[in-house]
Amino acid sequence: MGGFFYRWRRPLITILAVMVLAVSLSYTAHVRGRVVELSNLVGTIVSPASSSLAFIGHQAGVGISTVGQLFTLQAQNRELKQKLLLYNSMKLELSEVLAANGRLRGMLGLQQTLSNWKLIPAGIIARNPDNWFSTLVIDRGSDNGIKPGMSVIVPQGVVGRIIAVSSTSSTVMLILDPNSGVGAMDTRSQAAGVLLGQDPITGMLKFQLFSHRPDILPGDAVVTSGFSQYYPKGLLLGQVISVSRVQFGLTEVAMVQPSVDFNRLQSVMVVLSHPQGTSAPPIFGGGNS
Amino acid sequence: MWQYRPLTWFLLYLLGILIQTALLPQIFPIGYVPNVVVSVTVLIALYESPSRGMLAGLMGGLMQDVWAGRMIGLNAVTFALLGWGIGYLQSKIVRDPVFVPGLVAGMSQVLVVPFQWVLLLLAGYHFAWLSFVKPLPVWILFSMFFTPGLGGVLGFRSRRELEAGFSAMG
Repeated sequence: MGGFFYRWRRPLITILAVMVLAVSLSYTAHVRGRVVELSNLVGTIVSPASSSLAFIGHQAGVGISTVGQLFTLQAQNRELKQKLLLYNSMKLELSEVLAANGRLRGMLGLQQTLSNWKLIPAGIIARNPDNWFSTLVIDRGSDNGIKPGMSVIVPQGVVGRIIAVSSTSSTVMLILDPNSGVGAMDTRSQAAGVLLGQDPITGMLKFQLFSHRPDILPGDAVVTSGFSQYYPKGLLLGQVISVSRVQFGLTEVAMVQPSVDFNRLQSVMVVLSHPQGTSAPPIFGGGNS
Repeated sequence: MWQYRPLTWFLLYLLGILIQTALLPQIFPIGYVPNVVVSVTVLIALYESPSRGMLAGLMGGLMQDVWAGRMIGLNAVTFALLGWGIGYLQSKIVRDPVFVPGLVAGMSQVLVVPFQWVLLLLAGYHFAWLSFVKPLPVWILFSMFFTPGLGGVLGFRSRRELEAGFSAMG
């Protein structure tokens, strides 16, 4: 008997399984609600585990996708950094162009104001190699018609005069130099004098007045008097800051703030020639030179 | 070695004065531009005898004077004496590549200004003394950092070190 079952065990198990499944199908088709409950019960029991697994799976997916995105982000980051660098350099370039534009507008304005003057623009290429004297070197020389003694100006006022010339460059002695002396006068009172070099302590120009009791007040504008052989009349030199009596009270000296910011000079105009007897209107402000 | 050749000194001074006249005025305001010739003279003279130090200083100073085109001799005399002094000093002190060049350059700035002030006074220029006290700290600090930096870049070495190096290699 036992040998029979053992011999036919596989077909018997198969038939039994088919029968159980048929009965189960037949039964559950009629008692559907209970099956759902059973399913819910199972779901309730395993839900913490399933939700944990789902969470882990989600996180793993996110992690994997993040790792995948990392390479893309790196590339994007590199690209954005390059763009930022480009925009920064463009911004810098723009501010430089704006400054140059202001400077050139000032120069153009100066040329238009002094239309009957012969001016030549020049760039500054070097400063003096020591701190005792104040000179600078410009990129125009005798080839461009520049000669010693010619005055050098910017829209803000007088810079200095040419003291040495080579074929391609010239040396300009600034009005700050201790050897500089410019014939000057007060625009309000017409009091004349000589504007000497920069006082090293205050940084102001020393205006030595000729007359005994000149009418000069702080705030007055000082221009070239035209008495010197180098500078045409009427070019702005600066503004009076203070007035003091010196040398036993015999003469008066005014301290003058130069109208030109010598630390920011980049380009200048050399006066090649100007009509005799004419004077330039003093010009205040304008673009940075 | 190249560092002991006057042609090298000439090129170094040329570069130094170019930096001083064209580059540094873009950074420092008027009156505050440091003197690079001081640093180059200190650096050369620290590895030279007093007479050769003086020669180097004379070369640098003369170049600066010619460049300025104002008082030929003002810087030549100053830096020749400075070169001699440092050449003399270097035989008496222990030299390191950073601290000593920086300190000597800083001290040189302190000495150069009053010396030139006296020379200018003798020549008829009455500069206010106080005006140079203001930029002096800037010049000292610049020299103290610039001189060892330049020495490091150029890789200056003493003759003894070079000879030891060559014999070790041989």
